[in-house]
Amino acid sequence: MGQTFDPVTLEILWRRLISIVDEADTTVSRTAFSSLLRDAHDYTCMFTDRKGRELAQGTFATPGQSGAMALGIKALVNKIPHDTYKPGDVFITNDPWALAGHLNDVCVMSPIFHKDDIVAFTACVFHHSDIGGRGSSDNHDVYEDGLFIPLVKLEDGGVLNQAVIDMIRWNVRTPDEVTGDIRSQIAANHVCAQKIRQMLEEYELENLDDLADEIIGRTEKSMRGAIAKVPDGVYRAEGIVEQMEGKDDVVIELAVEVTGDSIVVDLEGSSPQVDWGGNVVYNFTYAYVHMAMKSMFDPYIPNNDGCAVPISMKAPEGSVVNCKFPAAVAARMQIGHFITEIIYRAMAEALPDRVIAASGGTPATMNVFYGRRNDNTPWHAVIIRGGGMGASSRNDGYYDFIFPANGANTPVEIFESDTPLIVEKRELLPDSGGPGLMKGGLGRTVVFRIPDDAYAPKPPVNLGIQSGRFRYPPEGLFGGKHGAKARFLVNGKDGYPYGLTRLNPGDVVTMEAAGGGGYGNPMEREPGRVVEDVLNGYVTPEHAREEYGVVIDPTTMELDEEATKKLRQTA
Amino acid sequence: MSEKCYRLGCDIGGTFTDFVLLNDETGEIRINKCLTTPSDPSDAVEQGVRELEQKVPDLTGKMDEVIHGTTLVINAIIERKGAPTGLITTKGFRDVLELGREIRYAPYDIFAEFPEPLIPRRRRLEVDERVRSDGTVLEPLDPKEAREVVRRLLDMNVESIAVCLLNSFENPAHEMMIKEIIREEAPELSVSVSYEVLPQIREYERTSTTVTNAYVKPLTGRYLSKLEGRLQSIGIDGQLFIMLSSGGITSVDTAAEFPVRIIESGPTAAVISGQYYGRMFDLPEMFCFDMGGTTAKSCLIQGGVAGVVPTFEVGRVQRFMKGSGLTIQVPVVDLMEIGAGGGSIAKVSRLGTLQVGPESAGADPGPVCYGRGGKNPGVTDADLLLGYLDADYFLGGEMTLDREGAKRAVEEQIAEPLGVSYLQAVWGIHDLINETMAAAAKTHIAEKGGNPNVVTVAAFGGAGPVHAYGLAKKLGAPKLIVPPNAGVGSALGFFTAPRAFDLVRSHKVALAEADFGEIEEIFQALETEGARTLQKSGSASDVLYERSVDMRFVGQGSETNVALPEADVTGLAQETVRSRFDEIYKKLYGRTYPESPVEFINFKVRAKLPERLLELPRAAGKSGRLEDAVKGTREAFSGIAKEFIPYTVYDRYTLFPGASFQGPAVIEERESTLIVGEDASVSVDDYGFLWIDLPQQDD
Repeated sequence: MGQTFDPVTLEILWRRLISIVDEADTTVSRTAFSSLLRDAHDYTCMFTDRKGRELAQGTFATPGQSGAMALGIKALVNKIPHDTYKPGDVFITNDPWALAGHLNDVCVMSPIFHKDDIVAFTACVFHHSDIGGRGSSDNHDVYEDGLFIPLVKLEDGGVLNQAVIDMIRWNVRTPDEVTGDIRSQIAANHVCAQKIRQMLEEYELENLDDLADEIIGRTEKSMRGAIAKVPDGVYRAEGIVEQMEGKDDVVIELAVEVTGDSIVVDLEGSSPQVDWGGNVVYNFTYAYVHMAMKSMFDPYIPNNDGCAVPISMKAPEGSVVNCKFPAAVAARMQIGHFITEIIYRAMAEALPDRVIAASGGTPATMNVFYGRRNDNTPWHAVIIRGGGMGASSRNDGYYDFIFPANGANTPVEIFESDTPLIVEKRELLPDSGGPGLMKGGLGRTVVFRIPDDAYAPKPPVNLGIQSGRFRYPPEGLFGGKHGAKARFLVNGKDGYPYGLTRLNPGDVVTMEAAGGGGYGNPMEREPGRVVEDVLNGYVTPEHAREEYGVVIDPTTMELDEEATKKLRQTA
Repeated sequence: MSEKCYRLGCDIGGTFTDFVLLNDETGEIRINKCLTTPSDPSDAVEQGVRELEQKVPDLTGKMDEVIHGTTLVINAIIERKGAPTGLITTKGFRDVLELGREIRYAPYDIFAEFPEPLIPRRRRLEVDERVRSDGTVLEPLDPKEAREVVRRLLDMNVESIAVCLLNSFENPAHEMMIKEIIREEAPELSVSVSYEVLPQIREYERTSTTVTNAYVKPLTGRYLSKLEGRLQSIGIDGQLFIMLSSGGITSVDTAAEFPVRIIESGPTAAVISGQYYGRMFDLPEMFCFDMGGTTAKSCLIQGGVAGVVPTFEVGRVQRFMKGSGLTIQVPVVDLMEIGAGGGSIAKVSRLGTLQVGPESAGADPGPVCYGRGGKNPGVTDADLLLGYLDADYFLGGEMTLDREGAKRAVEEQIAEPLGVSYLQAVWGIHDLINETMAAAAKTHIAEKGGNPNVVTVAAFGGAGPVHAYGLAKKLGAPKLIVPPNAGVGSALGFFTAPRAFDLVRSHKVALAEADFGEIEEIFQALETEGARTLQKSGSASDVLYERSVDMRFVGQGSETNVALPEADVTGLAQETVRSRFDEIYKKLYGRTYPESPVEFINFKVRAKLPERLLELPRAAGKSGRLEDAVKGTREAFSGIAKEFIPYTVYDRYTLFPGASFQGPAVIEERESTLIVGEDASVSVDDYGFLWIDLPQQDD
């Protein structure tokens, strides 16, 4: 019989644990070099109990990493016999199958000792912008993706293994930044370990075991309580993800089996793995299952093993959602991001108020621009974008976000000062939101011009694209219609959005992000809101008439109630 | 006694208008408090001055200046009570204001709300013009088109127009042409031009700032001229100054022109007085902590200087969640605010644990013990039940607290559902709110490169001294100070703030390619502008300039500020700047990368007039006997013994310099109560400050 904690003490200790990870998190944002880490917060710190069960995670975590880590770290720490761990040991790996699904996510993990025993493990995963390799979505296997670091000791009893650092340095393009960021990972783990030991001393605890049981148990109970309210049954949906032209679409078959207070997500029947980088490892697929479940059941419950326990996942080995080594995985988000919306679609009938329609920001869009200026100096810029969010029973879809992942845009003024390009436009696309009782979020167009005057760069300007939604638009829910598809135009004509595009001075590139799906019957949308949308230019008068059955007097721009009533009756 | 020896600080808050009157010759301080008069706030100001005049004859004649802090601007934004405003922007970019930075601040919450833009899309119009990132013109502005656009906005009955064009920080010519056209079309209309509001790179942040300025400008102008007129009518003429969010004070004209700079005007005074104490007592690291009814505000002061950050958020739609408000890019003192106050409500969480805050019962109905209909037990209730507050001496006895009601609420709503003892519940509420504040404080201190184990905690506000001991212990801080009269303590900032104004211009250039002659020109232009602004605040002699640059590693997303003490940078060596950058970077972030190239982003000048010195009155000479200050003993809860023990109760007003004693102690004054545990000792210094020494913990 372990130690028990009254609910007051428990809350204080629980808060302390979370604040310990948050402090480690702050250490990262203070010590990391890469802007992906410092500004986009593309990293996750956490720690587990001595069994490897996730106990606390940084408050601001990236969904793709945070969901994958609960599973990944548990397996990793138990791969090594516990009696061989020594104080001061630090391990490193970026095995995509062990963690967050691509080589760029590098994990540093350390055991925490207190009074000669292991009491916890601390780990952090950073998205390193450089891990060598081709950095391209059309790689054929993981060998082309870059440097693969198996689970090795980075520090042995506190002594740095310089050979590992050297090995990494010689395999990446920016060795100082990469090894600098790895040191920042070690520092974050160090902060975590020190504070956990302090807490154990302050509260005179031998270890974290009983506290972990209590925290994980309560979280699991709360998650199970929410699941139990869903009627038992098997909820199915199918997702079709477009592939590059000439290849078959990827099909994701998904069944959510609710039995009492447990959920099994079964992906049996999904397409086999593909010969490019869109393959998703088990853990990353699970991460977006987790994103869907947490957002539906309790977005603010602290993340720990208890959130994961009631939800298991089955995915056929060798499928695109559980790919086998040595599949290429660099562009895993192009398929992995779809898992969340497929779950929403499966659960929509049972939980109509907890889901949103499909979003234009699924998958995230990434553009890599590079080339040479007219003085022959190289330039390079990476930008990410989303699209219109899907609508829900309580609100219109917002504009514009990456979903279910997350990330900020790059200001046009920063982009223009970093590159020789001109951004001609970045604005919302009228009528692109899926019509519905609640309207889908509008997509957004971005227009780039390659100057052909004295500012012209040397040809060619290379544009690498990872994106989607060019053929299949984000779908609506409950009678809501789909949002607009994404488009990629070069000089007004359709371009090829699945790989590398070479551009020349004078070229104009238009990238339209997809709009979110609508929710509910658009003919039931309150006419006043449609008029508001028309006045603000989110919806054109024609679209209002055709999709919403709302007639607006073209001279006064006021609602024509009679005509609207009539039109809606006949619609 | 010289003619004009009084200065008045006046802070108009939501409920009360507070006054602090300083006699510059004697250092004597008087305070006054009136109910705020929302329909015309100057009514309360007049009333307050008249009341003070009864104690200080001919006060208006002897008044040197009035310094004002206000929450009017921030309230107008939160309540969306600004003017109908229009925006003129570059073709293709009318949605910058709405798209923002496209980040979801709550990654798992798919229903998270985002603030409505202050200007609806139909009033955001475009002109076909374009400036390149180097400031050259790609597409000239057509004045005819611009005039039509202005007329279209006027037809929509806008009362204010914001102008924000792409890359205007490098070349404002087009913005200025539009401003001129607006002048011609509507001479009286309020105009805010981004180059004048803040010529800084990043279009969303600049647009949002300019638009916010435009939105509150008509109302702020009306309010300030009314207040000035009222002061004139009672004989105080032309001596009104306004507190800026950045910690300086400025003229009414400048505040009316740039109201976006006075958004945090209210709480800033407390930080400035913290700076003053930090310097006065030579404290290397001080953590100021002001706990009121709904929130706790705090700020780390290092070497007597509070951090100033270049951006903040206003009107968060999801309470206290970073990212859920409107971004404002103006310098503001680095204040951390969390939802922890005396009114914070305790309840049972969904996980079956205790939860305290961020929801608050506020001042009305307030906690259960106020007996004004509050049903949910909260922090003040717990403080009362733990014996920290005296039910009969709250606000100096003006208000009697309902102990029985509070006890019942804690028992029924917390202890029973949680299955814990009443004592565990009541102590839990107090301890948990301290834990919440300590967690936030540790992160804030860590972000600034400070160390919680060496900070001196300074406590302000009604609830601050009640919780400061517990907070200091959780931080591992060795010392705690409590200024005399918590209310006055924070208002002293009005008198120690310099007349100052911050200016900035963005110009991105790599250090290796920088022309320091050109940079000198940028600085001189900023300084000329600074001197012009300060002239409005009175004398322009002795203007001091502090120059700095925002730098970053090429490709990094955020900047680091580096001071340039040189009065002329023309001959400055690249290596000198580089080594300063590396030194600061290393201090903030642990290490630097000397091989990676760096670049300039922003050039900044703080123009200021010398600070007026303030000599606090010493109470030296006043002496007494400790037993005279003892009011008795009271049973109160000990966090160490985990039971009620007798605390000695002291009257703060009877304590004298040199007095010292060991805890457990309760030190009562009218507005607040200080709690000190049995492991700490208290001493009183010559200025009447209480210094509490806490036992050192092993690290």
